[in-house]
Amino acid sequence: MDWKAIANGPWIWIAGAITSVIGLYQAWFFMTKARNFMHANGYTPAETRHMIRGAAITAIGPVIANIFVMIALAVAISPGLAFQREAVGVGSVFTELAQVSNAAIAAGEEFGTPNFTMAGFAAAVLIMNIAGWGWSVEGIFTRYLGKAREAITGGNTKLLAVIGACGMIAVFTYYSLNNAMKKGGFTVAVLVAVLTSMFLFKLADWIKRPGLKEWALGIAMFIGMLAGKIVAG
Amino acid sequence: MATTASKTAHADARGNRNIDPTAFARDYLKPVHRVGTITALAVFLALFIPSILLYVLYGQFPSWQTIVTGFGLAMTYAVPFYFSEPISYYPIVGNAGWYMISTTGNGSNLRVPCAAVALEVAGAKEGSMEGELVAAIGIATSVLISIPAILVGALLIGAIQQIFPPWLLDAFNKFLLPAVFGAVWGQFILRGWKYAPLSIALFFLCYFLKVPGAWTIVITVLGTMLGGALMLKFFNIEA
Repeated sequence: MDWKAIANGPWIWIAGAITSVIGLYQAWFFMTKARNFMHANGYTPAETRHMIRGAAITAIGPVIANIFVMIALAVAISPGLAFQREAVGVGSVFTELAQVSNAAIAAGEEFGTPNFTMAGFAAAVLIMNIAGWGWSVEGIFTRYLGKAREAITGGNTKLLAVIGACGMIAVFTYYSLNNAMKKGGFTVAVLVAVLTSMFLFKLADWIKRPGLKEWALGIAMFIGMLAGKIVAG
Repeated sequence: MATTASKTAHADARGNRNIDPTAFARDYLKPVHRVGTITALAVFLALFIPSILLYVLYGQFPSWQTIVTGFGLAMTYAVPFYFSEPISYYPIVGNAGWYMISTTGNGSNLRVPCAAVALEVAGAKEGSMEGELVAAIGIATSVLISIPAILVGALLIGAIQQIFPPWLLDAFNKFLLPAVFGAVWGQFILRGWKYAPLSIALFFLCYFLKVPGAWTIVITVLGTMLGGALMLKFFNIEA
């Protein structure tokens, strides 16, 4: 049997739907718990709505990008498997394609050639999914991350704030500079986005319009993206 | 605006709300851990479903030799990130946020930026109880948007390829991610500018020593955290 004949069958959409429902339920539960607790502790519904709106605006660009990038995986294997992996299964598209190639090698085949058969496809489905196990295991033991943090900081709230702030800036220093070092449009995209973002957040304070902060990241990422594309041609 | 009004009631001098730690642990953290653990376990088991269905319906299952070899190849890429991601993200997003990132992925490009903007809108400090609640709302919002959007995208993949011009697809494919990172970095530089020079210096140290990417993240993050802790201890410089 040709693997392409079954790669987009109902079975893979059902598998994707199951993980998606779990992910959606988890997010809905956390959202409800956090909002209820905040409302019971002096926050107004309007305040939490502003947080949600800011996050929703920020999500637009990356979600569209995820869909566009997912095309590569959908074309290479199947839309159903792309949905099953991308909706909840973790992993960037490039990682997933690398894992398909790894699975094919393990099965003694080569992905993207006629040599790739049903055996390679079965290996790819399993390997792509078990590569995500580590994160699920870390999720299961999340409560111990909190205990480790408490043990390291001794519950010192100032130190907790320092660690959070340092983590935020260090992670994005890495991702930004790592992309900027690729030169050309990548450097321009990073630099324009950095400057636009800083300007918009400061502008919101200067003109006393905090609502602008909800839009700042969304606007900055689109301007940075377009600047990078224009320079790259 | 609500963001400024939020500083009026139940807030300390730095603008952070006074949340009762006992109530936070009992009414929020306890159910979050219960549901978070169960759903993370459920996703762990659900990752077997495609292979089980493939075997039951079509009799296809890879040999053990293929599984072991493929698993080994997959782990060479994934293992460093098993270390770097919880170290990097957990202090920012807290418990509920980490449950969602470990379940739905897309931490750096989607979840953390959404948490960051929610924190900014709320004026909350990362690492605080208020910050944990706000980050949970920001990340949950992103999950509730992204999963249905990915489903629609997968169903309409052919139409998307025809409707959107190639230059726009190319722009999103290549340059949105660097721009997302840059935009979030700009925001964080404003929030934690005193730590930026150290993190930049650590990045370039690793870059010129050709340290692999995932370990560069670990070194940059832990080094910056250590530097920040020393600045607090010896110079009383707070975040």
